[in-house]
Amino acid sequence: MPADSYAVAIPVGENYRPSSGQRRAVQGSGNQNPTSYGNQRGSLAAQGNRIDDTSLIREAQQGNRAAFEVLVRHYDQSVLRLALHLTGSESDAQDVYQEAFLKAYKNLGSFRFECSFYTWIYRIVTNLCLDHLRKRNVRKEEAPVAIDSSGEEYSRLEQFADIRSGANPERDLMRRELGKKIGSALTTLTPRERMVFELKHYHGLKLRTVGEMLNTTEETAKNTLFRATQKLRAALAEMR
Amino acid sequence: MKCDWVRQNIVFYVYNELEDDARYEVEQHLARCPECATELKATRKFHATLSEMPVAEPTPNLLAASRMRLQEALETTRPGAFWQRLILEPALWLRQIRMAPALAAVIFIVGFGGGIGATYNFLASGRSDSGTLTSSIGSNGANPASVQPLESSAITGIRSVTQEPGSNQVNIKYDTVSTQEAQGSLNDQRIQQLLLFAARNNYNSGVRMDSVDLLTQAPDDSRVREALMYALQNDSNPGVRLKALDGLSGFVRQDPQVRDGVLRALISDTNTGVRLQALRLVEPMKADSNVRSVLTRLGQTDQNPSIRSQARAMLAQMPEMD
Repeated sequence: MPADSYAVAIPVGENYRPSSGQRRAVQGSGNQNPTSYGNQRGSLAAQGNRIDDTSLIREAQQGNRAAFEVLVRHYDQSVLRLALHLTGSESDAQDVYQEAFLKAYKNLGSFRFECSFYTWIYRIVTNLCLDHLRKRNVRKEEAPVAIDSSGEEYSRLEQFADIRSGANPERDLMRRELGKKIGSALTTLTPRERMVFELKHYHGLKLRTVGEMLNTTEETAKNTLFRATQKLRAALAEMR
Repeated sequence: MKCDWVRQNIVFYVYNELEDDARYEVEQHLARCPECATELKATRKFHATLSEMPVAEPTPNLLAASRMRLQEALETTRPGAFWQRLILEPALWLRQIRMAPALAAVIFIVGFGGGIGATYNFLASGRSDSGTLTSSIGSNGANPASVQPLESSAITGIRSVTQEPGSNQVNIKYDTVSTQEAQGSLNDQRIQQLLLFAARNNYNSGVRMDSVDLLTQAPDDSRVREALMYALQNDSNPGVRLKALDGLSGFVRQDPQVRDGVLRALISDTNTGVRLQALRLVEPMKADSNVRSVLTRLGQTDQNPSIRSQARAMLAQMPEMD
């Protein structure tokens, strides 16, 4: 049986260079047009690395922190993205990121490979984000203003606007307006509806996967998506 | 009315969530119905509007800062207690087979192998050379006369697993920082240990399949059974899962855990071939109430027609015993 040569280590996360201090530019700010199927690289790369992850997870379960850090690199961009979209604030997103991976590290022992690590970690992140969304709903009377990492105030609704001065100020203004509308429309959703929509639309996940992550059925996820899109369409139409 | 059903499903159509037959029906209807076609256009516009809006993506700075913060926190955190159990278990195994010094090194190595060499400092200075390790051929698992010292190397992968035809000699090539070879019979503890490792950890499904195949010939051992169950449940390659099923077939009757594992595969494996084989394996046990209830459920509600009909046929052959 022909066997591949495995003298070289498994392909580790793309941004990981063991002994170099520099990190390659992370795909992020340059991404102007998220496709409707979301961050393909995130989900497909996660699936391609599945076999490799098994060894990493077992290493990490035996106390190997370096292996855990490599494992984190496979998923942390997607996780951060999810957290940022749902919390709307860089510092909140960082908090969710931190909490999620620490929780994963502490509970790694109870991971029994009954689902993929991707699903498992997303379950943790979505739970944390849902908690965050629910807390925020309770204090709805507060204006949705946040402080970003440079100390500037910005409206959470504006996260959807491409705020850079382009050659066409009128178009920029329209985009900004639209961005606000979308941001505002999203606040009409319940936390779960928001979550399902986010995972489906911005991360391109199948509703079956979304169901697994949220500990519910595909059917429920489908109904939730339907309700969410109805609400969003209504909210956007109203604002015209 | 058909339009209602189509309207309900247009959003799933646009998000590519419909099964092939539903998608076909929707497309057929849309070609004939102008109102629904308008609805489709509106839904697509909605989808496009939301997709065209650039969304705040994490900046490289944010990602780097988050990673650093996590790293600092990890330095002061202990992982869960599970790993302690795993360290203890091999120690028990060691005492059983009394190969303490050599295997202590090997367990250490097995723990840190798996091809992650690049991240570990102690492997950074490794050089790769090829070597051959021969273990003495003994049918009672006697201690190998000459075991190369393994303290300074680690298993990075299994290259190949072959059995000499017509004999019980197994030849395994595996990589450490030096490539080594182990020869021995299936009764050799070292060979078994390597096979168990290969079945779980190798990236080449062909090698995993060979290992699982050889493990099915190995003497009855609970660790082997565990490895086969693990492969059945978790291996991504259906061929490997089938091999694992073959290996477990002898235990389905006597071991309830194996029976449950096979039932789980029957219910939820993604590959129909694996499911059908699992179905065949539980057939001799169709008098068992667990098996019967699974067969009943499958016969009524399973998506796959051949599984449904076979399950029903099996039930029909047995008189009702409730």
